[in-house]
Amino acid sequence: MSERVINILVTSFPRILGQGILVTIPLTVLSFALALVIAVICAMIQIADVKGLKQLVRFYIWIIRGTPLLVQLYLVYFGLPDLGIMLPAFPCAVAVFALNEGAYCAETVRAAIEAVPKGQMEAGYCVGMSYVQIMRRIVLPQAFRTAFPPLSNSLISMVKDTSLAANITVMEMFMETQRVAGRTYEHLALYSEVAVIYLLFCTVITWLQRMGERKLSSMNGGDVIHA
Amino acid sequence: MLEVSGLRKAFDGAEILKGVDLSIDRGDVLAVLGPSGGGKTTLLRCLNFLEQADAGVMTFLGERMDMSAMSRRDIAAYRRHTAFVFQNFNLFSNKTALQNVTEGLIVARKMPRGEAEDRAIAALDRVGLADKKDAYPSHLSGGQQQRVAIARAVAGQPDVIFLDEPTSALDPELIGGVLDVIQSLAEDGMTMIVVTHEIGFARRVSTRVLFMEEGRALACQETAAFFEEQKLERIRMFLRSLNRKDDGI
Repeated sequence: MSERVINILVTSFPRILGQGILVTIPLTVLSFALALVIAVICAMIQIADVKGLKQLVRFYIWIIRGTPLLVQLYLVYFGLPDLGIMLPAFPCAVAVFALNEGAYCAETVRAAIEAVPKGQMEAGYCVGMSYVQIMRRIVLPQAFRTAFPPLSNSLISMVKDTSLAANITVMEMFMETQRVAGRTYEHLALYSEVAVIYLLFCTVITWLQRMGERKLSSMNGGDVIHA
Repeated sequence: MLEVSGLRKAFDGAEILKGVDLSIDRGDVLAVLGPSGGGKTTLLRCLNFLEQADAGVMTFLGERMDMSAMSRRDIAAYRRHTAFVFQNFNLFSNKTALQNVTEGLIVARKMPRGEAEDRAIAALDRVGLADKKDAYPSHLSGGQQQRVAIARAVAGQPDVIFLDEPTSALDPELIGGVLDVIQSLAEDGMTMIVVTHEIGFARRVSTRVLFMEEGRALACQETAAFFEEQKLERIRMFLRSLNRKDDGI
C-alpha cells in the first residue's frame, strides 16, 4: 500500500466514523425504536383481532414487504413532494426505515406472542387479572424473550440498510465515503474502510445481544420449560 | 353453595356436555370421575368460564346466573370467589414462586404488596415450599410446580377451588405429595371440585362423587354410597376395571 493511500485512509477515518456516530447510529436507533412501537401495536391488533384495523395492518405489511426499501425511500423523498408533502432527508429516512422495519418486526412480535402457551393467559384469568394486565405482565415479557434474537437480527440488518439513505441525500457514513472516494479514486481502500466500520458497529450489537439474552434469561428464570 | 343445572356445551357441533346437573355445599369435596373423553375437564372449564357454556343455570352463593350469557364483568366478579388448578400447572414462567402467588392479589385485587407477600409466604409454607419462594417454575419439579399452583389458588381465599386432573401430568413418585396437600385442604374444610383418575384418593378424600360419561352425569352421590352401594352396573364395571389395573401393577 502506497503512502498516499495510507494517508487518505488515516485522514478519512475520523470523518467517516464521525458521520457514523453522528448520523448512522442516531438514524438506526430512532428508526428501530419507532419500528418496535409500530411492531407491537400491529401485533397486538392482529392478536386481539380488532375488526377493521386488522385488515389495515395486513394491508400495510403486505405493501411494505412486497416492495423494495430503496423504492420506498425514493417514493417518499422524491415522490411525495409531487403531492405537496416535502420532508427533509433525515426525518424522511427515519419514517421510511421505521415503517419498513416495523412491518417485519410486527410479524416477529406476533409469532412470539402466539408462542406463549395459552395456559398462561388462562391462569391469569383464573387469578382475576384482565386481558390487558395479563398481556402486559405475563405474555409480553415472555414473548419479548422469544422475539429478542430475531429482533436483534433486524437491528443488525438496519444498521447496514441505513447506507441506502445516501440515495436520498442523508449525509451518513456511506455517503461520506463516496465523497472521499470520488475525490481520491481510492475505491478499494475506502469502501473496505467503511465496510470495516459497519462490521465494527454490528460486532458491538452482536455483543450487546449476547449480554441482553443472558440478562433476559435470568429474569425469566433460565430456560423456560412448559410442561 | 354451588348448584348447576342443564349445563350444555358443544364444540363444532359435537356435544361434549349434554345437560349436566350438580350441586355442592360448603366444605364438600366433589370428585369427578369417569372414563377419558366423558366431558370432565370441559365441565370444570365451564364452571370457571374458561369455556362459555351453550346453556345452563348456575346458582352460586345464592345468586342465579345464566351460564351462556355472562358478561366479562360478571365473570371477573365470580372468579374472585373461585380458583383453578390446571393439569399442566400453568405457573407464570416469568415469575418466581412467590410472584406467582402474589400476582393476582396485587394486580387483580389491589392488595398492598407487603400484605400480599405475607399471605403468599403463608400459602407457600402450607404446601411446604416456603424455601422455594424465589425459584422460577423452570427450576421446580412438576410436583413442586403443582404445589405452588395450589398455593396460588389458596392465597386468594376462594370459596371453591376447581382442580383439573392435578396429578395427571406428574411422575408417579411426585403424585403423593400433591395429593397430601389437597387432602390437607379438604381436612380444613376447603370446598373443592376435583377431576381425577386417582380412585383411591377420591374414595379417601371426597365427600361426593360425580360420575361422567359421554357428556352426562350418570351419578352424583355421597362417596360412601357411590363406592359401596353402587347400583349402576356401568359404574361397577368402571370401578372393577380400575381395580384390575391396580392389581396388575
